[in-house]
Amino acid sequence: MQSQVSSQRDGLMRRLGRALTTPFDPEDYLALFDARHSAREIRARVVRVRRETDRAVTLELAPNRLWKPHRAGQYVMLGVDIDGVRQQRCFSLSSAPHDPVLTVTVKANGGGGVSDHLVHRCRAGDLLTLSPAAGDFVLPDPAPERILLLSAGSGVTPVHSIVKSWLSSGQTGRLVWRHFERNYSSLLLGESLRELALDERLDFRLVLSADAPRDGDLAGRLDEHWLTENGLTGSVDDASRPPVFACGPQGFLDTVIDWHRRHGAGPLFHERFQTLSAGGGEGGLMRFARSGGEAPAEAGQSLLEAAEAAGLSPRHGCRMGICHTCKCRVARGRVRDLRNGESRDVVGQEIRLCVHGADGDVELDL
Amino acid sequence: MNAKVNNLDPVIFERQGVRLTRSQVEAFGREIEALRDEVMNDLGERDARYIRRLVKTQKSLELAGRGLLFLGVLPPAWLAGTTLLSVSKILENMEIGHNVMHGQWDWLNDPDLDSSTYDWDNTCPAEQWKHSHNYMHHTFTNVVGKDRDVGYGILRLSEDQRWNPLYLAQPAYNWVLAALFQWGVAFHDLEYEKLLKGEKSWAEYRVQRRKIMKKVRQQVLKDYLLFPALAGPFFPLVFAGNLSANLTRNLWAYLIIFCGHFTEHAEMFTERDIENESRGQWYLRQLLGSSNLEGGPLFHIMSGNLSHQIEHHLFPDMPSNRYREVAPRVREIAGRYGLHYNTGRLGRQFGTVLKRINRMALPDRLSRRLGRRANSAPV
Repeated sequence: MQSQVSSQRDGLMRRLGRALTTPFDPEDYLALFDARHSAREIRARVVRVRRETDRAVTLELAPNRLWKPHRAGQYVMLGVDIDGVRQQRCFSLSSAPHDPVLTVTVKANGGGGVSDHLVHRCRAGDLLTLSPAAGDFVLPDPAPERILLLSAGSGVTPVHSIVKSWLSSGQTGRLVWRHFERNYSSLLLGESLRELALDERLDFRLVLSADAPRDGDLAGRLDEHWLTENGLTGSVDDASRPPVFACGPQGFLDTVIDWHRRHGAGPLFHERFQTLSAGGGEGGLMRFARSGGEAPAEAGQSLLEAAEAAGLSPRHGCRMGICHTCKCRVARGRVRDLRNGESRDVVGQEIRLCVHGADGDVELDL
Repeated sequence: MNAKVNNLDPVIFERQGVRLTRSQVEAFGREIEALRDEVMNDLGERDARYIRRLVKTQKSLELAGRGLLFLGVLPPAWLAGTTLLSVSKILENMEIGHNVMHGQWDWLNDPDLDSSTYDWDNTCPAEQWKHSHNYMHHTFTNVVGKDRDVGYGILRLSEDQRWNPLYLAQPAYNWVLAALFQWGVAFHDLEYEKLLKGEKSWAEYRVQRRKIMKKVRQQVLKDYLLFPALAGPFFPLVFAGNLSANLTRNLWAYLIIFCGHFTEHAEMFTERDIENESRGQWYLRQLLGSSNLEGGPLFHIMSGNLSHQIEHHLFPDMPSNRYREVAPRVREIAGRYGLHYNTGRLGRQFGTVLKRINRMALPDRLSRRLGRRANSAPV
């Protein structure tokens, strides 16, 4: 009862605040004192930058109150201003939901974009924007007692979050986790992995393809042969149908998916990091209905990239088909979904510019 | 720049001895466009810093102004509070709101400064403003019958508007419009005259009016009820402060905006003038229909950089902090084509606006005769 009264009072205060600051929000004024305040977006301050390797960092973030706790394994879209322009990319959260600090672990990709900026130029005190956490690469509820986890490269981050969350929730059972890496110097979250591995419910092994393995680590690279030889095939085809979680580059995932199709009895959850370009899109001429220009779209190029190359700056976010910020109406024409190669007529429909290419001439509402 | 008459390249522009052929007009347009591309490709960090600093300054001034008004029993506090609030309202409406809603800052990709979501501290809803201003006024600048900013449906500012006796009173009611400018702007897009002519449906009108009234209620509640009520016994002082700040903003916005298009040498156009208008001719019309104001950096910011009305009309989506930099180059290009670049100090430019308002109040025959007599009278 008391909480109902106080929540009513909160609601009234909020309405009064809004009425006093219309057409803005109280947060727009509070932002003068702490720039994290916003009525519209999740903003976080970078509290600490932990260097993982010379090309990767873990950022500790303190978000504003719009942030809702994530589920282990989910990602966010991080936004950062580069040269004045807000750019966004997706990153998996590396912390578990109930960890005291929220963290993302970012590896530079040398492309000069968001990842490189975060790794090389981000400092404590900087401000970032976050999307709400999203993604289906999460533990089912209730959490299974046995799980096989396979990760490679920066695929370690969501798996780390899942394992940490599973272990800290007092589960009984057993996790088997194999992480594949080229060499020790590129390993992310190494310190935390060693700590987690002390838990006897977790059987963690690092598998190296280039460096010589040290105490307890294994040598090899992922293929079906390796999985069978190391006893993993036997662990997924039994009657208890243990789920498999896999995260890593496309080639790695293809192998896991293929292997799982033949041997797996339980479900497979996987998360890929790069968008898959299925090729396709013949290219064509783009006509811009609103700004009145024309420009060519190359085969295989996304409409977003093509519009940008033509000097336009359409609204956009993740550039990988997730956030729907770049949704745009197509007046007429045929587009190809660059993720699966499917081509379709989209007259009068909205499409995501970042994951569609032109299949012939297209007229866009830009 | 005079050109030979040529059938393939006819003269399409002629003013006071300056004649431009079609290809010259297009060349002029291309030079203006090249200038635009150069600036737009250079946008970056420094522009982002400018607008964010401005927003911070404006919000701080507003907080300080509203805070001081609570101490309004002390006359200096009331005066300072009213002044700060006036300045903040002017900055928000003119240098921030107007320019953000033009899409000048969309490239930042920042939802706080995006033209599709921004709303300003004014009784006119953003969505309707973007239609009447960004589309109607900026596309059809100074075209009588198309650009409803020519007289806002109540003033006669061009000989192409048919005279009627009501206009005799415009030198007086012009000041009423000035004082109530935000209200004029708010109800502007309702387009009463189209409604009366049957060009607009009552249903559309009702939807629009409902949206305007919602915004009006919110604005009135904030400035004339809630903030004064928070001051308790000093209700009237805060009320008077807010009223004065809104009035000051109205008068200032009116002053700057009228100097932008209605000075003596700002040209008006007819619908026939814009038939088959090319890109080059469009730029030409923007230049000839607009007029600038001279002043220091602070004056330009306080005018929302509409003191660079010419540059704003040539480049409506260029961030306004860049207008001051491109102005000398626009003037240089105009000069090379022999085109008039209309600029002057505020007092002089506004004097010519009043002259136009007075002259247009009279029927053309009478004002012409008076004009002749004035010209031949001994000084």
